[in-house]
Amino acid sequence: METSDKIRLLEEMLELKNGTLNESTALKSIPGWDSMAALSLIALCDEKFHKKLSGDKILSFITVKDITDFMG
Amino acid sequence: MLNPMDMTGKLIIVTGASDGIGRAAALHLAMLGAKTVLISRDVNKLKLISEALGKNPHKIYPYDLTDLEGIEDLIRTISEENGKIDGMVHCAGVSPMMPLKSTKYDLFHNTMLINFYAFAELVRCAGKAANCNDGASFLAVSSVSSVKGNKAQSAYAASKAAVSGVIKPMAKELSSRGIRVNSVLFGIIKTGMYEKFLEQGGDMSLWNGQYLGLGSPEDAANVISFLLSDASKLITGTDLIADGGYLS
Ligand SMILES: NC(=O)c1ccc[n+]([C@@H]2O[C@H](COP(=O)([O-])OP(=O)(O)OC[C@H]3O[C@@H](n4cnc5c(N)ncnc54)[C@H](OP(=O)(O)O)[C@@H]3O)[C@@H](O)[C@H]2O)c1
Repeated sequence: METSDKIRLLEEMLELKNGTLNESTALKSIPGWDSMAALSLIALCDEKFHKKLSGDKILSFITVKDITDFMG
Repeated sequence: MLNPMDMTGKLIIVTGASDGIGRAAALHLAMLGAKTVLISRDVNKLKLISEALGKNPHKIYPYDLTDLEGIEDLIRTISEENGKIDGMVHCAGVSPMMPLKSTKYDLFHNTMLINFYAFAELVRCAGKAANCNDGASFLAVSSVSSVKGNKAQSAYAASKAAVSGVIKPMAKELSSRGIRVNSVLFGIIKTGMYEKFLEQGGDMSLWNGQYLGLGSPEDAANVISFLLSDASKLITGTDLIADGGYLS
């Protein structure tokens, strides 16, 4: 999957407008990036990328690129 | 010495016996003298636990309880091979954490399958006169989430609340034979399920209200043994709260 598609999935998950995020966006700066979003991300990575994501791993993510890299 | 929780010779089914609360309950019930029938999917884990249970003839029946159609045969086989059942505790369960916006009907359904439908089917089948003795006790391991669900617990809370609903009519229908049906609402018990909750970044501050501290599987096993034993003979159709104070 293209990086832009992964970012689109993240935007949909976070209910953000298309184009709000880019690879360098710091996760802390995203409105709605909280423990509920983390659970949604675990489900998203499992369902769409068949990757198991842990809470600890999420804590190590700093930017959107860290997430799209993990998605593979 | 009088032991009101003596279970000598009683045949007790423990679902979810391969881990956590079910595993501790099986060990505790065996120590009280019960013959246990252990059910879960993982045959290797069940074998290890059955060995740990010691001298009473404990049996394992590896089974995926989401296969609801086969539960009738499973219960019939258990009673034919071991004699009539005196009690059952349904510890098998799942606790998915999912925000509402991602909780689709399939998550509700999959959670209900093991947490609720399997329990209802187990009681329906085990409650038949051919399969259980009068005075038997059936118990669902439930959660404080059934009355005070937290974020991301829609499917879990609903499945546990369904259990609270069903035990009352069940208890009334089966009372003519002295059979009891209850549930126990635990707060946090330190098992693999709890570890998974932490792994997913679960918020422990929500549980500060459990002011007696977190429970151990052995604490849970004590309550389960009480509700399966004749010591709780007057308790039926009830959610017994064992939550370290969380709901108070
Ligand atoms: N831990 C807590 O804080 C807590 C609090 C309140 C209520 N509870 C409730 O207590 C019950 C037990 O929880 P636990 O903490 O002991 O969980 P656990 O350690 O994850 O154990 C779950 C058990 O359920 C069995 N199981 C799961 N799906 C099954 C299936 N389809 N068929 C047969 N067996 C199945 C598993 O065995 P296999 O993998 O071998 O099948 C395992 O033995 C659950 O209903 C849970 O909701 C737990």
